[in-house]
Amino acid sequence: MISVELEIRNPSGLHARPAAMFVRTAGAQQAAILVRNVSLGSAEVNGKSLLAVMGLGVSHGQCIAVTADGEDEEAAIEAIRGAVDGGLGETVEGTAGGEPEPT
Amino acid sequence: MPDQAPLVGIVIVSHSSALATGVVELAAQMAGPALSLTAVGGAPTGGLGTDADRIASAIAAADSGAGVLVIGDLGSAILATETAIETMSAGTAPRVRISGGPIVEGAVLAAVQASIGESLDEVLAAAESARDLDKGVGR
Repeated sequence: MISVELEIRNPSGLHARPAAMFVRTAGAQQAAILVRNVSLGSAEVNGKSLLAVMGLGVSHGQCIAVTADGEDEEAAIEAIRGAVDGGLGETVEGTAGGEPEPT
Repeated sequence: MPDQAPLVGIVIVSHSSALATGVVELAAQMAGPALSLTAVGGAPTGGLGTDADRIASAIAAADSGAGVLVIGDLGSAILATETAIETMSAGTAPRVRISGGPIVEGAVLAAVQASIGESLDEVLAAAESARDLDKGVGR
């Protein structure tokens, strides 16, 4: 089981469209995905449920904690980190278009 | 995507063709291109109403083996869907569910859950959960 904290930089936060992109990314993973709103101190919810993810009420600049548990958990976390950093289908400031950073 | 298993299809039934088309447009943008989303709106002669024959055809076309969820707007959309299911083959009819939940919110939630390969009953539950959706008014 591994976790990562990610800042949501989308201008309107994790509202419907970026939340849907988050759920589609999470849903493509075999691992169980749990998410909570660190900034609000919320409980963990199912990261593969759009209703649950939208219900976190994540606004611009807040942080989420994503936990993956399963055989592909490392790849799952990287996929979700890449999607969030890439703006979840939206343009966010400081985005490199979701491309991996040069090593 | 890890699996090629068939996805649950979704049919939106509205008295208004424009409304059904718009709901599909919105849900499709949220769920991506892999999902079968079909709009059925209007009476057989045009204008506002419902059409059991076109609903039956849409359900049959939307079923790729995982079943079909129909979301209707108001009472006779549900009645027409029930009539449509009665006319359908014994193969497809048991794999059809109807949601009377909020049509826009239900379609969006159901479409996203269907797009990640959830089962027919899970997709129905997502549509029904739209009754409890917090849109963040006043947040």
